[in-house]
Amino acid sequence: MDRGRVFAYAAAGIILGVTVLSGPAIGIVDLTTPRYDMSGLGEGNVTVDEVDLPSSVALDRGYQSQSYYLTVPDARIRLAAIDGKPTVAYGIDIPELGYSRSTTHFLSGGDTGWVTLSLREDTLGDDTVDAERYEGRLSLVLRASDGKTLLANRTVDVEVSE
Amino acid sequence: MSTGRVRALAPADARERLVTARTTLVRALVGDRLGLVVFLGTVLALGLTWRVGVFINDNYTLANALVALADGTVVVDDAVYGSLDAPGMTVHEGRPYGRNYGQVAVALPLLWALGATTALADFGLVFASAWSLLLLAFAVQVGRLTGRESACATAGAVLALAAFATGAVLAEPLPERLVPLAALQLGSVLATALLAATVYRLLARIHDRRVGVAAAVGATLATPVAFWATIPKRHVTVTALLVGIVYVFYRSRTDEHDTEALLSPTGFRALAYALVGLYTWVHAGEAFAVFLALALVDLPTAPANDRRTLAVVGAAFAASLLPFFLTNVAISGDPLRPPRMLSEFGAPSGGGAFGGSGASGTEGGGGSLGDSPGRSGGSAPLLPEPVRTLLATAAERLALIFGPFVAGAKAVVSDPESLYRTVVRAGYDGYIGRHDNDQAINLSMLESAPLLAGAVALIATGGHRARAALGRSDGPTLGVRLRRSARTLRSSQIGATDALVAAVAVLFTLIYIPRLPLFAQVTVRYLLPVYVLAVYALARQSWARRVLAERGRAVVWSYLGGVLLGAQLIFVVVTVGSFGRGGAFQLHAVVGLAVGAAFACSGVGSALDERFDPATAVTGGLAAALGTNLTALSALVYFRYGPHVLPAVDWLADLLASA
Repeated sequence: MDRGRVFAYAAAGIILGVTVLSGPAIGIVDLTTPRYDMSGLGEGNVTVDEVDLPSSVALDRGYQSQSYYLTVPDARIRLAAIDGKPTVAYGIDIPELGYSRSTTHFLSGGDTGWVTLSLREDTLGDDTVDAERYEGRLSLVLRASDGKTLLANRTVDVEVSE
Repeated sequence: MSTGRVRALAPADARERLVTARTTLVRALVGDRLGLVVFLGTVLALGLTWRVGVFINDNYTLANALVALADGTVVVDDAVYGSLDAPGMTVHEGRPYGRNYGQVAVALPLLWALGATTALADFGLVFASAWSLLLLAFAVQVGRLTGRESACATAGAVLALAAFATGAVLAEPLPERLVPLAALQLGSVLATALLAATVYRLLARIHDRRVGVAAAVGATLATPVAFWATIPKRHVTVTALLVGIVYVFYRSRTDEHDTEALLSPTGFRALAYALVGLYTWVHAGEAFAVFLALALVDLPTAPANDRRTLAVVGAAFAASLLPFFLTNVAISGDPLRPPRMLSEFGAPSGGGAFGGSGASGTEGGGGSLGDSPGRSGGSAPLLPEPVRTLLATAAERLALIFGPFVAGAKAVVSDPESLYRTVVRAGYDGYIGRHDNDQAINLSMLESAPLLAGAVALIATGGHRARAALGRSDGPTLGVRLRRSARTLRSSQIGATDALVAAVAVLFTLIYIPRLPLFAQVTVRYLLPVYVLAVYALARQSWARRVLAERGRAVVWSYLGGVLLGAQLIFVVVTVGSFGRGGAFQLHAVVGLAVGAAFACSGVGSALDERFDPATAVTGGLAAALGTNLTALSALVYFRYGPHVLPAVDWLADLLASA
């Protein structure tokens, strides 16, 4: 038996062996653990010293399409201290369009200093957008052990561009 | 027949018998070792894009039908996934049923296998482990093929262990309730790999192995076939069946006695019809179009149509229709009434499938052949009532099945814009957009597979030949020449196969063209088989084969560069420019059309003069790469609907999402 063959059989043996040994029938070790531990979310405490919300939001005509994309620039917060796993929801409301959306970010132990929070972009139909400018409200809501607190909010222009 | 051979060859030794059985299986399914490499390579590539989840809500229908079938019934009483009110669910006498039972039935043994595997291994790790083992097998086979067994096996072992270790570190638990869905997806993935191997076998036999491999890669990875391969819908399953039909048809057209062949030419001919029979079990309407094309080409070009041959073919066809008939009897009580002809579970929507209660199928039938039932009843007043009913039913059914072709032909003439928007530029349509969350995510055929633009050069090749033919003005008259080419077609194995491919492509397109463009198509998925047939047409062009043979290196490097660098470039543009999903798709569309146009031009050039070949090699490689990029970026970035089966890819997709 040549060397390549030995290696091939050994590799197949190791892969099958580890798979079966970690499987539910034997279960020596559990190799499948969630990458994000979702337990205790929204609990803990955090001290925020500074908040930076963008001043305008764009509603642009999509590339080669009739619909509009709502892009909200990132917000930033500076954390002085953190423990547990509090969450921050970054949201936007556009009352005239009856539109509301937010993205929740999980904060964790190592996140001191500036943290960037994004808001996922969204598509709005051609027929819903008819003005050139709307008024929107951005908000950052912290959820920690002492419940929900509004970290910051701000009224912004939502500029429609073709 | 094949078992007889195995028995004759097998020595007493059980190990050797196993080896013989394995060799026969490999030969029957993928042809030879290179076919096996194509098969394994396709599974490995598709594994990278596979997410366990529901992409489109009619996946619920099949997944729920599979769970029900695993419990031993065709009645779908419970919605294990989503809701019963999903497109494709049908109702008969108050009981809900699924559809495409052939595809569901194939997934059943896979479900059992996957169930047994997850009893031993962690469901979250099974795919990482299997993928690593397949990578090892792939390396070993490549080693045997290239004569560097030891080096390839060693490299394969190292890579497989590294892949497995990465998977084990990043693996996350997968919920067990997704096992049936994954089994259904596995069926689609295996069908796609078989499709790739069959395309390879067909073109390796017609031309050579290089053309075979290139066509297999082109047909699966450079077209939306890869996009739909992990999505449990019928499209790749029927495409694989269709390619199988073309392949066995080709094998049936030889009169040389091939001692290596597992079946006689008549056997292959019978198998072609048997595959059509199995096709009906997945989608009867499409299968009818394929049957029509097959019969139209097969009967006039067959080497023999004696009673015995036709009896064999007919018997095989009848036997292959049994699963379809039995399923229909179990559901509606009528063997000729498949689930798609029953009423829809939910409110009928515009998306109702062909042959179902959806508008166009019945409409077309009623319009074109609506008077037939009355006439047949009126001309035979003396016939007893049961016969009359039978005739009326037959006429009604005929109207239903022939109607779509007539409607399709009418649509091509009356509405060329729809054809343009299906094939060339889809763009944004308000009606379609409203159904797709206002996103312009429906691409045309050329936008989603720019490689198809090369088929345009067919016109140049044809023109070239026509001019050459017309040049000989002293030759025989047109009629004589036509008769002569008909005779050539009959005696030529390749000519008959080309005719079959053309006939299937035309009839298949006709039945769907009145309904296109349509929402939720993404890549004109209804016409998925036509993409593969177009790649066949491309591979049949002598200029394309010359470019592949003489500029192969340039083709491969432009393809790899286009995938490895091009995909990153598109990702950066889409992310930095905040394109959103619709904008990103339109970017793919515009770039695809530009590269496709360049490829079409240089392809026409190459057809006329080989000085264009270097340009054709580069544009062809890039055009193929753009098809791959659409699938790769859809899997990693644009559509996220469930965990990737490979933990490392899942991790990468998470990383890209936060960019």
